[in-house]
Amino acid sequence: MGQTQVTPYTLHISIEVNGESHDLEVDTRWTLLHVLREELSLTGAKRGCDRGECGACTVLLDDLPVNSCMTLAATISGRRVRTVEGLSTQGTLHPVQQAFLDNDGGQCGFCTPGFVMSATALLEQISSPTDDEIRDALAGNICRCNAYGRIIESVRAARKAG
Amino acid sequence: MNRVIGQSVPRRDLPGKLTGDAKYAADVQLPGMLIGKILRSPHPHAKVIAVDTSAAAELPGVHAVVTPFDVPEGNIAPDVPILDTEVRFVGDEVAAVAADDEFIARQALDLVEVEYETLPFVTDPREAIEPGAPPVHSGGNLVGGEPIILERGNVDEGFSEADVIVEDSFSTPAHSGAALEPRVAVAYWDDDELTVWKSSRGVHQDQLLLSLALGIPRERVRVIGGAMGAGYGNKDETRLSVIAAVLARRAGRPVKIEATREEEIVAGRHRHGTYTTVKMGVKSDGTVTAVHATTIMDTGAYLSSGPGVVRRAGQGALYLYRCPNVRYDGCLTYTNTPSGGSYRALGAPQGHFALELIADRAARAVGMDPVEFRLKNHVGPEGQPGERTTPASEIIDTQPLEGGIPFSSNGLRECIERGAEAFGWSDYSPTSEGSLKRGKGMAILIYRGGPGGRSIARMSFERDGSFTMISGVMDVGEGSATVLTQIAAEALGVDYDQVSETLGDSAHTPDSPITAGSTVTFSAGLAVRQAATDLRSRLLSSAAGVLDVSASDLDLDSSGVFSQSGRRLAFSELAEHIGAVEVEAAVSPGSTDYIVNSFGAHFAEVEVDTDTGAVRVLRYVAAHDSGRILNPRLAVNQVEGGVSQMLGFTLTEQMLTDPGHGATLNASFLEHKSPTILEYPDIEVIFADVVDPIGPYGAKALGEPPSVGVAPAVVNAIRDATGVEVRDLPATPDKVLNLIAELETGVVE
Repeated sequence: MGQTQVTPYTLHISIEVNGESHDLEVDTRWTLLHVLREELSLTGAKRGCDRGECGACTVLLDDLPVNSCMTLAATISGRRVRTVEGLSTQGTLHPVQQAFLDNDGGQCGFCTPGFVMSATALLEQISSPTDDEIRDALAGNICRCNAYGRIIESVRAARKAG
Repeated sequence: MNRVIGQSVPRRDLPGKLTGDAKYAADVQLPGMLIGKILRSPHPHAKVIAVDTSAAAELPGVHAVVTPFDVPEGNIAPDVPILDTEVRFVGDEVAAVAADDEFIARQALDLVEVEYETLPFVTDPREAIEPGAPPVHSGGNLVGGEPIILERGNVDEGFSEADVIVEDSFSTPAHSGAALEPRVAVAYWDDDELTVWKSSRGVHQDQLLLSLALGIPRERVRVIGGAMGAGYGNKDETRLSVIAAVLARRAGRPVKIEATREEEIVAGRHRHGTYTTVKMGVKSDGTVTAVHATTIMDTGAYLSSGPGVVRRAGQGALYLYRCPNVRYDGCLTYTNTPSGGSYRALGAPQGHFALELIADRAARAVGMDPVEFRLKNHVGPEGQPGERTTPASEIIDTQPLEGGIPFSSNGLRECIERGAEAFGWSDYSPTSEGSLKRGKGMAILIYRGGPGGRSIARMSFERDGSFTMISGVMDVGEGSATVLTQIAAEALGVDYDQVSETLGDSAHTPDSPITAGSTVTFSAGLAVRQAATDLRSRLLSSAAGVLDVSASDLDLDSSGVFSQSGRRLAFSELAEHIGAVEVEAAVSPGSTDYIVNSFGAHFAEVEVDTDTGAVRVLRYVAAHDSGRILNPRLAVNQVEGGVSQMLGFTLTEQMLTDPGHGATLNASFLEHKSPTILEYPDIEVIFADVVDPIGPYGAKALGEPPSVGVAPAVVNAIRDATGVEVRDLPATPDKVLNLIAELETGVVE
């Protein structure tokens, strides 16, 4: 008596990731995080909880930060995704990345790509956010090393730089 | 000198972490790699009678299933086989599968049929050591059969000299370190050679444990750590990687197992929950005459690092206050709950919580200010009264019991004085608005750390004239790659950027202790400094031959070797002459004359809403003696992070176990609430002006001490604000409200 595997249902999507178009056949159970990490080998976005609680998987979907672990790939055809790998150009760090480096805005680094993406989205919307606006924008990202003091300093520096 | 030491050079591994290039174990992809999943026990205590894997094995896409009945016989720890026929907590490992993808693996787990015979269980450590409690392991629940009793002098005599005795009981919860990176292991066999990528705090220890568990020679195991998504000590087990290796062996393909968030919290390791009673005797002038602490510590289902942690929980009671008569009784108990383990500062936060609340009570009992009381009684540079018993030729333990041994350095007084001044302790006048009450609190701390095990480091001069520092330790996110490289550059006399580093791969680094106990900077740092100093001498003497001058006429700087007469030899030129050079140095860090400890004093201002019980930390001052600070910016980040992390322990975090069923009720970030950036208070960090004579360039332990003083400082501040003392952490709003109601009505709920 053989067991039957659950039959995956797939469909076709086209998405833009870091400026590049991708036509993909996706399993409907796949999250955007899965597609980025497993199908496109973009492992900057991290799986910290897989249930939208920690923000380590934050990427920008049409310029807004989302938890990619809570975004089904099948639902985002035609949309534009930016990940941490798309920020730096030709070896030059993005101003937000540079500010995090200069201000030691991370420790173990597992949350760092998520914080960088949330901060990037914030600074694209509000060029000079207040400290309260910085905290609000980063409240969905958990840093278990609790490097929050340096992260706040980093975003303040990026605010000045930008 | 000191061109690189004391500079806030950028964190070495941060650029890769900012761009997504850094490779964590979960990022490893191998051709043909399968996904492993673990079947976990639904019972807190049961015998596994039989496991039927036939349906799972027949599912297309499943390549291996392992059970307690067919795994190799090795052990991961003395009380932990690879898989066991007895399970001891809800979430304990029972069986595992490897399949083409995660979905198939999960489906396969559902198809594994396990027959259990349930057994009586116990979840409360106080009940676990009562006669007749269900035994978690054969041999009884009290580990070692009796408490560890550590006594200096005679506490009965000490209490008889006291004018006032204060005593009470306190508890601290099990709480998860909840590293953002869940445990992960990737195992790959090439014939009989095993390679494992894992989230590791020590690749050489993991290599040893894998070889012992699997019964294969150590040299056939390679462990690669890569970037590590932190662990705060509690990634101190290898079961996941051993199971991955067994699955990979059976499937003939690489296997990756990533723990889920729930698995990380339940089946990872957490800070041990404790029940502590402290009794302190003081004279009416405030002199401490006796301290006696008794701790029951819950190690959960397995021993892990429990015996070390329960001993460390007594350090505060035994050594923080100058006192001839002190005693600590530590009881480590098994229960049918998730396993405790190493977590930042290893028992010290639990012990200090109880001790520093009692110290405040003692101060109040004799009418002294808390700062004044600490200044009068804190242990000083001379150490404790008494006679040294350690033989003169032996290295002093970092947590001795005996007195009569001075500290290598002790900046505790400076921490108290400068911290109090920065906080504005003496002229603090709280402002209260309606239901919002403000108050101040403080606590002091002592922490062992620094000297760890024998450490080996290598320094390499490369054929292109560059340098490489090679150490077997892991950078677990705290910055050791950066600081060790600074030490190497300083000892060589070159720039920080001229030295690259190799860490965290057992195949390319010398044997090294784990990154634990705040020992890496001190222990690996001394080895690196020695290796770099030796390499510098070798290069100068080789250059002397090339230039035909005396080595004593030579010096070097970032551009190469030069003589007093002005001759220069660039490193690249020197390399052309002498080729690559590698030197290795081994050190056994420590001192035969001094205790090496770190110290600190913490100050908190809180605001309590007496209508809701909510506590907000407004302001925090953390003053630390960690010796010379090698990288100020990284050090500040460590202290701020340690304080904020432990605000979770103090106010929100607690692993809840259902006493009726044994299950963990809140294994998620939503329910086991970690601090976010919204709660992050204003934290001021102060470092005492101390240069330790033993540590590398004067440094001492830094990583863990910041976590020790937080809970008592904040809870003492809550008491100052409201008059109620939260004796059972975390200080959640319901507890604060109930205590306020009791205070107002005199009725205990």
